[in-house]
Amino acid sequence: MTGTVRVIINDRPIEVPAGTLVVDAAKRLGVDIPVFCYHPKLEPAGMCRMCLVEIGMIKMDPQTRQPMRDEEGRPVIQWMPRLQTACTTRVAEGMVVRTNTLQVQEAQRAILEFLLTSHPLDCPICDKGGECPLQNLTMRYGPGESRFDYADKMHQEKRVPLGDLILLDRERCILCGRCIRFQEEIADDPVLGFSDRGRGMEIITFSDPPFASYFSGNTTDICPVGALTTTDFRFRARPWEMTPIPSICPHCPVGCNITLDVRPSARKGGWDILRVMPRQHEAVNEIWICDKGRFVHHFATAEDRLRQPLIRRNGELTPVSWEDVLEVVAEALSRAGPQAAGLVGDRLPNEDLYLFRRLFGEALGSSWISMDPPIFGGEWVARYGVGTGTDFGQMRPGSLIVVMAGDLEEEAPVWFLRVRGAVRRGARLIVAGGKPQKAERYADLILRYRFGTEALVLVGALQVLLDENRVAPEVLPRLDGLEALRKALEGYPLDFIGQRTGVPVEQIRAFARAIAEAGEVVLIFGREGVVDGEAFVGMAANVLALTGHVGRPNNGLLPLWPHANTQGALDFIGARPLPEEVPVLYVVGADPVGDGRPMPRAGFLIVQDLFLTETARMADVVLPAQSWAERDGTFTSAERRVQRFYKAIPAVGEARGDWEIFIAIALRLGQRWRYLSPEAVMDEIARTDPRYAGMDYGALAWTQPQWPPVGTSRDLYFGGTARPNTAGLGRVRPSEAETPEARWPLAWKAPEIPSEESILAIPTRRLYQEGTLIARTPHLRGRTVPWAARMHPETARRLGLEAGQMAVVRVNGQTLRLPALVDPSVPSQVILLPASLTARAGVVEALPVKFRVEVGNGALPR
Amino acid sequence: MLREKYAHEVEAILAKYPVKRSAILPLLYLVQQEYGYCAEEGIREVAEITGVSPTEVREVVGFYSLFYDHPIGRHRIQICDDLPCALRGADELVAHAVRRLGVQPGETTPDGRFTLETVMCIGACHRAPAMQVDLEFVENVTPEVFDRIVGDLSRDGM
Repeated sequence: MTGTVRVIINDRPIEVPAGTLVVDAAKRLGVDIPVFCYHPKLEPAGMCRMCLVEIGMIKMDPQTRQPMRDEEGRPVIQWMPRLQTACTTRVAEGMVVRTNTLQVQEAQRAILEFLLTSHPLDCPICDKGGECPLQNLTMRYGPGESRFDYADKMHQEKRVPLGDLILLDRERCILCGRCIRFQEEIADDPVLGFSDRGRGMEIITFSDPPFASYFSGNTTDICPVGALTTTDFRFRARPWEMTPIPSICPHCPVGCNITLDVRPSARKGGWDILRVMPRQHEAVNEIWICDKGRFVHHFATAEDRLRQPLIRRNGELTPVSWEDVLEVVAEALSRAGPQAAGLVGDRLPNEDLYLFRRLFGEALGSSWISMDPPIFGGEWVARYGVGTGTDFGQMRPGSLIVVMAGDLEEEAPVWFLRVRGAVRRGARLIVAGGKPQKAERYADLILRYRFGTEALVLVGALQVLLDENRVAPEVLPRLDGLEALRKALEGYPLDFIGQRTGVPVEQIRAFARAIAEAGEVVLIFGREGVVDGEAFVGMAANVLALTGHVGRPNNGLLPLWPHANTQGALDFIGARPLPEEVPVLYVVGADPVGDGRPMPRAGFLIVQDLFLTETARMADVVLPAQSWAERDGTFTSAERRVQRFYKAIPAVGEARGDWEIFIAIALRLGQRWRYLSPEAVMDEIARTDPRYAGMDYGALAWTQPQWPPVGTSRDLYFGGTARPNTAGLGRVRPSEAETPEARWPLAWKAPEIPSEESILAIPTRRLYQEGTLIARTPHLRGRTVPWAARMHPETARRLGLEAGQMAVVRVNGQTLRLPALVDPSVPSQVILLPASLTARAGVVEALPVKFRVEVGNGALPR
Repeated sequence: MLREKYAHEVEAILAKYPVKRSAILPLLYLVQQEYGYCAEEGIREVAEITGVSPTEVREVVGFYSLFYDHPIGRHRIQICDDLPCALRGADELVAHAVRRLGVQPGETTPDGRFTLETVMCIGACHRAPAMQVDLEFVENVTPEVFDRIVGDLSRDGM
């Protein structure tokens, strides 16, 4: 189906791509054809019959091949004998559609009357009331009165739990199947289905645990009635009572656009976040979010948030006023001066990271600041990160997506959805990893290597590219270091690589060729099992640069960074080792003690956070900071898209924004900072930092219409699906390779490869890994993955461990203690640890090192 | 369970179809034979054997009225009470059955031997009233015929 066809809808002509559905063609003309089961993101089903229209074809004269005309010269139209469903009929040349005739209106009334015979009409207590397509369409197209007796309604169960998060109200359900199709087509977790027939038909789940999917909340958005509701939001508020505040999800590097729906709340004694909804951004999250993004917001309004500054007096942390505490902090920092050190988390917004850097650099003259956790590969992402304009939604045949050393669904769930969508549209996928993952279902090629040999697999691919002369000729003049690379590779024969990595040489060849031959390549990489981060990311950069897959849209590196603003932390802070002992240490938004990472010993410890973390418990001074919901700011996603979020609720207690606190300290240290808001800080960044040039708050708030039009005021039938984006699509900070005159350097570092006998500790990220923030969402308690050392029974046997036993694991001099969990699906010779814990090893978060395991009784050896 | 106990049958069923998914129906009959109904355990095993999600197999069980999602009696008696059968005395037949078995339609006798049900048309209107006993049709049913069949099934020791 190529080209366009011309159709006439309600006497208005329009030209649309061949294959367009009648319902979508009408939408482009601004003509609403009402629907229930149809959804523009799903395959058509034709189940609800709400979209019936008259369809005809212009009659052609078989001799002249011209339209036949009546006496008045108008084309003769051959109408189909019955009404047709606009959601399953595709346009054809010469098609004529009428959506507003008496016959159509009669059908619409009849369908609504029919649907409402089984509907309880409990709108006054229904969560969907006010944003309900069934309400909206009934008001616009319905009969007003029913011929059926209200008392005769069939009643069904109103509270059927589909798992811990989603509830089904059977009598509200109109059996449109949107939820079932979402789970099959978009999430690929086919855990919902129809059971029984006729009036007994109902939605069921039979997975274990029930409704096992990271995307279940989306079904409540696209449900056109109040049949599916979340246990979190059910009966908590009416839609019109809440104010939707545009925001950005704070959990992962995708940067999903969301709204925080807020309302004054007696229970919280102030304002509360009632729910999180997706906000449409077709290039980022379309209209979806994962369940972590939707449900893990309770931490912001949690009871145990820090509400006032604390200072250590007689050994106890006791409340103190901001004035007094700031004096103490400023004095301590000023005494330490250039010796003061700072550790800052990668969840802080850009504005705050920028001011933290200025505070240390300018007010203290200290260069001892680092992000926590430290991250490798940032410089290669800055150079060869995906080009501006990259959009999985545009990837099609000829596009290739590579996922390597990370679990796409666990680490960036919405990218998983979008990659799957790209594959459905014809893009190819290669998954390379040390253990299986869900994305492999759609992979054209799966490379299963030995953990720890990631960089070597890429060295193999480089070997093939050079052997077979597959360097893109047009990029040759831009490349630096090709000859050095060629020479270095001589030490790595392909046979050796095949033997060490465990990947058949033919697969390495196929991998390299697929990259060379693809029109577009995005290489998504994580840190799972990566021993030598510098070599790994460097080799990945080489592979893309050599084949010309950098510096343009839909090409380049895409990192699975751990948090929402890791990219910003790399841009403004960076990772560098701090001295082992410092006079004053200022830890902001990070919990190295709780996460088990090394932290300099400090004469005086200042901690700034939302909660009294393990690190904060050790502090001399604790400063209460605001969550992202309490202030304005920006995050930079792993695609390097800088996006704004807006203040949604007032400060909790006396908590202040990190940026405000830095300003207050800087003023006490004699600086003349005059920022009144994060906006003023970003203005300065946009003026002074070429990477963020022009990205002031005005520019970041720019929007353009999104297609399909979802949740807009003129849209009656996708109500409640997602919020329209009226607050900004953000701006992508370009990769260096995009500059026309930029040189494209190649890297070489001999990869460090662990010996074949060694057992590796592998940091793995799980979406619901036990942690500070997720612990405050009780609804996810049943799904939380507890801290454990997961290993193959064979590995456990070698180490003399039994399931459930406490393993005392020594990693690079650090000692961890956690229960051993035996799991035959784990590859042998590795132990999988929670990502944050493995960094306790004392190396960067994703760098596992050789270690030994001792069976212990749980006591920590000193 | 199925794979151990009915390894041969499962093999034979799978061999019949180009895609495993197609084997769901015959495998479910096997489940029903083993458990007396489509027990959850059996559904999950069929899902494993065919590589289809358990929810999808459960959908199939729900769709067909000859699969039971709850335990029923060893023999299932379904009496048609649709119009032609009703005109030929189905209501009286049902009343007789209720007296004879001592249970209402939809119930199972305390000894677990019979489940009585009334159903819509089973396609035997020309010899109404009709009923289906397990997988067998019985036509022109009279109370005497009913009693004889129930009597035979009560003695079969099964």
